[in-house]
Amino acid sequence: MRMILYDGPSEKRANFHPLSLSRPIWELRCGMTTLAEKLIAKVGATDIACFVEAYMADSYRAKTNMKVNDTATLAGDDLLIVNGRVKAAGFDVATTGPSEVGVTDDGEVLYARITADDLPKLKTGGIEELLDSAKASLPTITAELATWNYTWDLVLANPEQLTEDFKSAGRDGIEGAVEQPNAIRGSDKDVFIGAGAVIHPMVVIDAENGPVYLDEDVEVHPFTRIEGPCYVGKKSILLGAKCREGNSIGPVCRIGGEVEESIIQGYSNKYHDGFLGHAYVGEWVNLGALTTNSDLKNDYSDVSVMLDGRRPIDTGSTKVGSLIGDHTKTAIGTLLNTGSYVGAMALIMPTGKPLPKFIPSFAWFLEGVTTKGFGKGKLYETARIAMSRRKCEWTEDEQAMWDAIFEMTAPIRDDALRRGRRKMLKK
Amino acid sequence: MEKSEITERTIKVTCEVLNVTPDMVTPESDFVFDLGAESTQSVQLVAAFDEEFDINMDAEDALEVQTVGNAIEFIEKYVNK
Repeated sequence: MRMILYDGPSEKRANFHPLSLSRPIWELRCGMTTLAEKLIAKVGATDIACFVEAYMADSYRAKTNMKVNDTATLAGDDLLIVNGRVKAAGFDVATTGPSEVGVTDDGEVLYARITADDLPKLKTGGIEELLDSAKASLPTITAELATWNYTWDLVLANPEQLTEDFKSAGRDGIEGAVEQPNAIRGSDKDVFIGAGAVIHPMVVIDAENGPVYLDEDVEVHPFTRIEGPCYVGKKSILLGAKCREGNSIGPVCRIGGEVEESIIQGYSNKYHDGFLGHAYVGEWVNLGALTTNSDLKNDYSDVSVMLDGRRPIDTGSTKVGSLIGDHTKTAIGTLLNTGSYVGAMALIMPTGKPLPKFIPSFAWFLEGVTTKGFGKGKLYETARIAMSRRKCEWTEDEQAMWDAIFEMTAPIRDDALRRGRRKMLKK
Repeated sequence: MEKSEITERTIKVTCEVLNVTPDMVTPESDFVFDLGAESTQSVQLVAAFDEEFDINMDAEDALEVQTVGNAIEFIEKYVNK
C-alpha cells in the first residue's frame, strides 16, 4: 500500500495563509510534530508520496524525502490518498480493503482508498483528475472525519496535542547536560532533555501541569522558565525566556521574552523582550525587540481574523494572536493587534500604535501605510543572507516559488498599496 | 502629459514628502545628498509619485533614481507609455 498525501483544494488551503503560502498544510506543526508526521505514524505507511500545488513542487522536493507530484506514484500499488487537513487522531480508515472514497458534505475528498485493480479504470494523469474520476466511479461515502480548518485550530489544539505527542514519543530522562543550580518541578517522567542539549544554571523547568520535551542540542540560557506542556526543537536557543505553557518551538530558533501557547515553525528569531501569545509564526521570521502581539480583546469577545484582507472571520475563540508568514521582519517596538494577519516577506516599521489587522505579503508597512518598499529583489537578498547564516541555501527553486507567491498575492497587496498612497498624500 | 506638467508635479510631491521648499529643488538635486531623503522617505516618494501620476513604478528601478531630473524622466516613461 502506498500512502499519498494530497494538499487539499486551493480554497481550503487559503484558510491556512500566510503559513501555507510556502508549504503544504501537512508541514504545519501542532504539538511536537508536523501534521504529516502524525498522519504517517497513524497510517503506518513506509511508501509515501505527495501532491502539492505546482508552484511549490520544485521547492518542496528539496525539503522532503517523499516523491512530489510524480504521477508514476499513482500506479502499481494499492493507494491510500489522504487529504492533509485530516486530523490524524481520528483517522481510523483501514489501509486495506475494497476501494472507497470518503468525502465531506460539500464533496471535498478526505481520503480515497483505491485498489491496484481499480486504478486502470481511473484517470491517473494528476491527483485532481484521479480524485474526480474516483468520486465518479468508486463507492463514495460521507466521511465523518475531523479536519483542521484554520491555522488557529492548530494553535488552540497545541497544548493538548503536546501532551499527547509526549506520551506517544515515550521518552523521558536527561540525555543532555543540566548545569546546577537548576530546578525541575513536577515529575521527572514528564521531562525529556535530548542528547547534546545544555541547560545553563538558574533555569526552571516546570512540568507540573504538562510535559517538557527539549530536543537534541537545545540550549537554555540562565533565567529561562519553561512551563509544560512545551516542545523545543533541535538546536533552538532560549535566552532568558518566559516560556509559558503550550508552546511548540521548531528547530534552530532563538527565543527570548514572553511566549505563550504559540507555534513557531522553525529558523525564526524572537531574541528580545516582548509578548507573543496564541500566535503561529513561520520560518525565517525576525521579530524585533519589544515586538508584542495582543491575543485577547478588552471586551473578551471572539477574535476575528482577516485572511483575505477584506472579510473578517470569527475564530470562535477569545484567544487568537498573530499569524505571521515566512521571512517577515518586524522592527523594534512593533505592536500587533489581536488576530493580526501579517503576510510573508513583509516588513513592518511601527508607528507606535497597534497596526492594521491585515498586512499583505511582500508589503512594507511604513509610517502608518502599506508601501511596496524596496521591492522583492531586496527582500530576496535579505532572505538569502538570513538563510546563509543558518547554513541554508536560497535556491532558484525557492525564488521561483516566491515569485509565484508574489503574483498570487498581488491583487490584495495592490489594493492596500493604493489605499496607502492615498493616505500618504492626504497627510 | 507634457514634460512641464510632470516636472511641476514631481517637484510638488518631492516638497510634500521631504518637507522642502520648491526653491530648494532643481533637476540636479540629489534626493539623498541635497534634499536629505532617508531610505524610508525614498519608499514614500515612490508611493507618492505612483499616486500623483496614477502609475505603478517598479520599486527597485525607481529607487535607483538619484536626482529629481532623473525622476522626471523615469516618471515620464510610465506616464506616456
